[in-house]
Amino acid sequence: MVEQTSNILSRLLSSDAKADLLVLFHKNPGLIDTIEAIARRIGRMGSAVEAEMRDLVAMGLLKVKVIGGNMVYSLDRSGDKRILEEAADHIRIVK
Amino acid sequence: MLHGGFLEGDAVMVAGAAGSGKTTLALQHLVNGATKYEQNGVYVTFEQLPDQIYRDAEGFGWDLRRLEQEGKFQIICTSPDLMVNKNGAEELLGDTIRELRPKRMVVDSLSHLQMFVPEGDVRREVYRLVMFLKTKGISSMLLWENPQILGNSYSITDVGLSFMVDAIVALRGVEIESSMRRALAILKMRGSDHDKHLREYEITPHGIRVDQPFTQYKGLMSGSPRRVASEKFVDMFRSVSDKKKSAVG
Repeated sequence: MVEQTSNILSRLLSSDAKADLLVLFHKNPGLIDTIEAIARRIGRMGSAVEAEMRDLVAMGLLKVKVIGGNMVYSLDRSGDKRILEEAADHIRIVK
Repeated sequence: MLHGGFLEGDAVMVAGAAGSGKTTLALQHLVNGATKYEQNGVYVTFEQLPDQIYRDAEGFGWDLRRLEQEGKFQIICTSPDLMVNKNGAEELLGDTIRELRPKRMVVDSLSHLQMFVPEGDVRREVYRLVMFLKTKGISSMLLWENPQILGNSYSITDVGLSFMVDAIVALRGVEIESSMRRALAILKMRGSDHDKHLREYEITPHGIRVDQPFTQYKGLMSGSPRRVASEKFVDMFRSVSDKKKSAVG
């Protein structure tokens, strides 16, 4: 469990782009948009954040659905809450 | 001014130039709905990020994050091209409508939405959005940025959207005696009587406050305001002066 959470933290902090995406979605939990539009909101190209977005979906922080043939991403509030709680517990244990 | 307020399910357009207070009026409408009338609200933004809206609202004493936590309010930030996709409104708003059961929704803005729709399709897309919300029993407030700040022409939109909405609120800057003041008018209200006066409004630290009608001026909407009383005064002097001239002649 400790190792799992430690891995999650490492994945969350693995790149600047991912950190920017996390901050963006936490500050704007109602954001729901395509990769290209989300990337534009943090001043990046879609291709530069595509892999990070997919990883955040795989981790359960973001969810994805298709609207008119476009993949649209938004914060998975329950997944996000769960991961934040796990991370907080982990930090408490490590301390 | 609205003689009891907008009717349930109405689509209201709020038109005004940048900085006229459209967003403030719209947020005030949602916050009042959530806190005073048990009507949950949703703010759909295509332009500003929610973070900025939370911050601006705080300046008026409105804690939108708290209202979100209480399940009374939500901001959705998305791209207009997704909204006008086939089933876009349902796909984007459906979950929120089912969870929050909102009675009020703001769309900020139709002018931004218009940029993503071919010119001939704007009316059809706006009609579809308005009818989607009406079908769900939601009153909508649709913001329209009107580039007109001053001047003598006053068309609300250049794409003929005015007849699609039930009410139109126009916000306009007027220059009076070398200072800028703000005027609000209800240009249209289907199915209900309303105040026909052009009223002054102010953006206060607590939101928008509508004041007294501009009864002392005429020509405000044409961009050439004149003081009614002084006009009469000048006319009176002119007629006395004319009489004196003709008596001397």
